[in-house]
Amino acid sequence: MLIQENLSLQQKLEILADAAKYDVACTSSGVDRRGRRDALGSAVSCGICHSFAADGRCVSLLKVLLTNECIYDCKYCVNRVSNDTVRTSFTPEEICTLTMEFYRRNYIEGLFLSSGILRTPDYTMEQMYQALWQLREVHRFWGYIHVKAIPGADPALIERVGHLADRMSINLELPTGDGLRKLAPGKSREKILTPMRQIQRGIADNRLQLEDARNRKKIYPAALPEARLSTGRGQQLAAVPAGGAPGPSAAPAPAEAGAVSAAAPGTVPAAASRRRSVPSARSALRYEEKSKFVPAGQSTQMIIGATGETDHQILTVTEALYQKFDLKRVFFSAYTAINEDAALPALGTRPPLLREHRLYQADWLLRFYGFEAGELLSPERPFFNEELDPKCDWALRHLELFPVEVNRADYATLLRVPGIGVKSARRILRARRSCRLDFGDLKKLGVVLKRAALFITCCGKMRENTPIEEQFLTRILTAEEQKKNRRQMDDASFRQLSLFGDFHLENLDPGPADLWKSLSGQL
Amino acid sequence: MDEQWEKTVFVCGGEPDDILTAVYDAWASRKGHSRVRLEVEGERTLDLFSRYVPVEADPEKARKVMNAIRNKISGRAWQMVYRSALSREESRADDIYRFLVGGFYYGPRVLGMLAEPAVYRILELNRAVGNEAHFFREFLRFDERENHILFGRIRPKNNVISLVMPHFADRLPQENFLILDMGRHTAGLHPAGGEWYLTQLDPEAGEQLLQKQEDPFRDLWKTFFQAISVEQRKNPKLQRSMMPLRYREYMTEFLD
Repeated sequence: MLIQENLSLQQKLEILADAAKYDVACTSSGVDRRGRRDALGSAVSCGICHSFAADGRCVSLLKVLLTNECIYDCKYCVNRVSNDTVRTSFTPEEICTLTMEFYRRNYIEGLFLSSGILRTPDYTMEQMYQALWQLREVHRFWGYIHVKAIPGADPALIERVGHLADRMSINLELPTGDGLRKLAPGKSREKILTPMRQIQRGIADNRLQLEDARNRKKIYPAALPEARLSTGRGQQLAAVPAGGAPGPSAAPAPAEAGAVSAAAPGTVPAAASRRRSVPSARSALRYEEKSKFVPAGQSTQMIIGATGETDHQILTVTEALYQKFDLKRVFFSAYTAINEDAALPALGTRPPLLREHRLYQADWLLRFYGFEAGELLSPERPFFNEELDPKCDWALRHLELFPVEVNRADYATLLRVPGIGVKSARRILRARRSCRLDFGDLKKLGVVLKRAALFITCCGKMRENTPIEEQFLTRILTAEEQKKNRRQMDDASFRQLSLFGDFHLENLDPGPADLWKSLSGQL
Repeated sequence: MDEQWEKTVFVCGGEPDDILTAVYDAWASRKGHSRVRLEVEGERTLDLFSRYVPVEADPEKARKVMNAIRNKISGRAWQMVYRSALSREESRADDIYRFLVGGFYYGPRVLGMLAEPAVYRILELNRAVGNEAHFFREFLRFDERENHILFGRIRPKNNVISLVMPHFADRLPQENFLILDMGRHTAGLHPAGGEWYLTQLDPEAGEQLLQKQEDPFRDLWKTFFQAISVEQRKNPKLQRSMMPLRYREYMTEFLD
């Protein structure tokens, strides 16, 4: 391992951003926080993208590693110990400077801090905690922070970091335990899921505690006579820090308490006492005391295409993560071949971007459209049809449910129509209270009529006389999709000169009518 | 006595106050909705059978219209009308008037009547203005000039500076910053710890006011921006659709 000393800040930034770029999540969403006079920053729940890199991915946060040194040898990772790359680390001070100065100039929405494993998971997590603490309390940064929890780190440390961060994530790395054993010898399924569970419980407990504190605040002044009011307030002030405090001094849920004390009897008191002795130069942000624990929720990511999992397996895992771990997001990362290894796809393999895209579409269907993984795929049909988006694919297999009458169908039914999304479905509900909707109106409401017109009626009429018939619809929908994909995928590659395409002789955008003609031989 | 066929056109300035005053005057003229029209000053062909009445902005009248919208329709409707007034569309004054005709008749439920052209139009203007304001919240870049003053430039199509300023004032309360609308020569100023305000400022004057200074973080940001993209996933088309070229004019990562 080549550890380089005396690198300039610019060189370090280049190395540590480059090493972090394969991490997918760069969202700054999930928490709304107004600015405050004595600090810098705010947060917007829809998230703000500040730029888009040459690969089209959003740049919202300063995404860097604390260090790219690592004791593990995960086969898919650039930073694995057996790779011969330049290694370096940021000091907490450097991270704070970069974050603050970038933030002031509106380059970024906050910090995304990840890290290779330096010495031990605990040591690494401790370093990250130091950096975040300085950023929040010394530099008074009030913007967004996303931080990786290091698998195998002390739960007490994770708890404390969670009170400084907005979002935490633990990489699932690979969809199944088998894949993990094969490619990431230092990690295990259990090591990853334990902190994930801890954060999930932490969020739930913290919510209840804060709610209790709020309710008490509301009830006391009204219920108590004037004389007792002040003591009531006093008690409550004492109670709040104890209840909301991040450290293990808070009374956690019984199940949690066992886990915490069993795992780290030594670190607990030390960590708690240090926090209390923190000097507050100005009026401290006291972010930890009153704060929410991981207010923007947790997310995870897994690598797609490095191992042989099917889409069905991946999607089932995703669904389980949403349901059992209350994750906010599950990210997919198309495997980029950067390391040579017998267990991995060969170097030069293109990342399976279309597959990743389909999985994200399906992920959206799970989260916002009320679909279940079992409806979209099954063990017999374990892969998505790359030619069709998952929703169209589903609709084609359930033609008995169509056409849907737009003026009467309920929200859930509307959501299942290809070409109608969450926003347009809501607008339809709103608009049809005052009038009957027509195809022209639907277009204005943002419905994609190219797809939707094949599956809906307005006042009992379809737009064109298209049959609800599987082969016919498949042909129309795949034609449209292919055109889109070809545009996206083959941009850089050579292609054959085409008389019709290159000399603008073709009838652009063949509509359903044309296809109908070609089908019946009239064209 | 007006002739039946004669239309009255109220010509007003382009600021929200002007437009709301024109709404007030047109309404108060009691000529009937179909016989009045609102127009924002500009080079227009005059209609033959129309009488043109110039409107002088009157904050008092504008305030009355605002209160009426808030009370009789809703706060949300007021927000939409205000944003529409910032739009660059020439028809915006009349669009607002037509919307208010429906709005004062139906009350709050007018916002749901999306199939109504006048309502839809306001929704459209509102969305365009809101989206552009959001883009500039994302893509605006500050440069640090002398005395730690932050200097940002934008060239929006719609007049969104008054929607962009509150966001930054909330976010950077202890910073002195200045945002210049290069097309309209409007500047939003925010003194540290104070309230922001708008003023007229020539871009050159602004440049002179704030001497250029080497900002080391520009290079650091460019380095980061280069390093963060994955070569194997390169996709300039996607980049362009997420971040259209016109927004890149003053973005640090695309400047030398």
